[in-house]
Amino acid sequence: MTISAPRLQVANVVAGYIPGHPILRGVNLKAEPGRITVILGPNGAGKSTLLKVISGFLPPESGTVHLADSDVSTLPPHQHIDHGIALLPQGRSVFPELSVVENIELGGWTMRSDRKRLREAVEAMLARYPHLRPLQDRAAGSLSGGQQRAVEIARLLVPNPSVLLIDEPSVGLSPIVAHQVYEELVALKKEGRTILLVDQDVRAAIGVADYVYVLNSGRNDVEGDRAAFEGDLGAMVRGWLGV
Amino acid sequence: MLNQIAIIVADGILLGLIYAIAGVGLSLVLGIMGIVNVAHSAFIMLGSFFAFELFRRLGIDPIISFFLAFPVFFAAGVIVYRVLITRVELAPQTQGLVAMFGLMVLLENLGTIAWTTDTRVITASYTNQSILIGPIVLANVKLIAGALALLLIVAFWAFLRYTLTGRAIRAMGQNRSAAMSVGVNVRQLAAVMFGLGIACAGSAGVALGMVFPFSPNTQILWLAWAFLVVILGGLGNVGNTLIAGLVVGLIQTAVAAFMPFDYVYLVLYVLLAVILVARREGLSRAARRGI
Repeated sequence: MTISAPRLQVANVVAGYIPGHPILRGVNLKAEPGRITVILGPNGAGKSTLLKVISGFLPPESGTVHLADSDVSTLPPHQHIDHGIALLPQGRSVFPELSVVENIELGGWTMRSDRKRLREAVEAMLARYPHLRPLQDRAAGSLSGGQQRAVEIARLLVPNPSVLLIDEPSVGLSPIVAHQVYEELVALKKEGRTILLVDQDVRAAIGVADYVYVLNSGRNDVEGDRAAFEGDLGAMVRGWLGV
Repeated sequence: MLNQIAIIVADGILLGLIYAIAGVGLSLVLGIMGIVNVAHSAFIMLGSFFAFELFRRLGIDPIISFFLAFPVFFAAGVIVYRVLITRVELAPQTQGLVAMFGLMVLLENLGTIAWTTDTRVITASYTNQSILIGPIVLANVKLIAGALALLLIVAFWAFLRYTLTGRAIRAMGQNRSAAMSVGVNVRQLAAVMFGLGIACAGSAGVALGMVFPFSPNTQILWLAWAFLVVILGGLGNVGNTLIAGLVVGLIQTAVAAFMPFDYVYLVLYVLLAVILVARREGLSRAARRGI
């Protein structure tokens, strides 16, 4: 399957949770289709805040977010799916009391007027992640962390989004499961999707990156292709932290 | 003795069903939206008067009014949500509580202006009739009201469990931001949920009005019953609210059969205190809301 994904462009975004105290202070970024663009930086750099701005959870005070030629800066979160933008939030985001299949089905909420298409999309996810099929009637909250992450990814993909915003997908996962998640991101990239990835696991994130942006104190710091960041990662991180 | 127990149980079940629908709307609004809707009972009161006026002016049977009340009060609930709740839902809970308390007082006073404080009853053709089932004599009106209540509870449960919209509402209560990220317009769905809660209140008012006398002042009594059911049953679960309603109904009829009616409140609230000490979440198994 190949998807014709658009470019995501963030221009001079200023945003914060308290007016007058911005976290992001004029961030610029481009995420190209068929590539994994990684955002790195120390705690408090604004990485997750940037994803919240792009996904509509935090309107920018100034600056724009464009998807191809469409300005999506001020769209509310629930309308981003209509533009093909899907967010995998930080932490656990399953609906714990709903079953696995109900969780996945809700990923197609915007497709609910076409029930046949929705059923087919859910079935496609169970086929893509066959280890979820025997668990489909179990409450999602009863699953392991890795299984819940698989449910979240399956739910994310139901509407076939072209742009994926992934916020710290490996948090709370064992290294083996985290590796599987990264492998899946690479597979999704190869389908032509535009992927923007934030992760605290610098080594793992750079391992899958096509392009890297480093934020520091809400501003762009350094950026470049993966090769530029494959050197002494420890020194790099120490540099970011100023130690 | 056995006959008396059978009557107590039958009466208690029918009463409990009515208490359950008085509580289910409140439980779901509180459980899913985190809104303490103290005006819920004012809408129950308005439901009783809705049925009263339709019966008095147009001769419409309360059974019909029970179904008519649902869409009418749903619309009222959506309006209240858009006009009032949207202004306080993200504020500290005390502000929401104050706002809903103000609405309750407003509605009660409007009710008093419209209908005075006189007690009313709805006397349908079947109100003073009873049916004999074996050794048990049941008032027709309680049987009908109980059956209508059960129908509404089952319909509500099925809606939340088996429809996509119902599951989206439950999802919204379990993880609001995740619901938004999958495209759910939580504001819109919250309006639907609140409307459904008020619709339940309106229909509950019709059922209660079929069985009990009512006036604008009695709404505060229904608030106490509704909260008792909600606290006993735990938040946001239709099944647990039904069980809690049945427990309250059974205890009321059992206590009232052997003691002065005033002792009913004493017994119920002592029982509630004991249950809350023993099981913090009420009867519900989940420590957090299980929707």
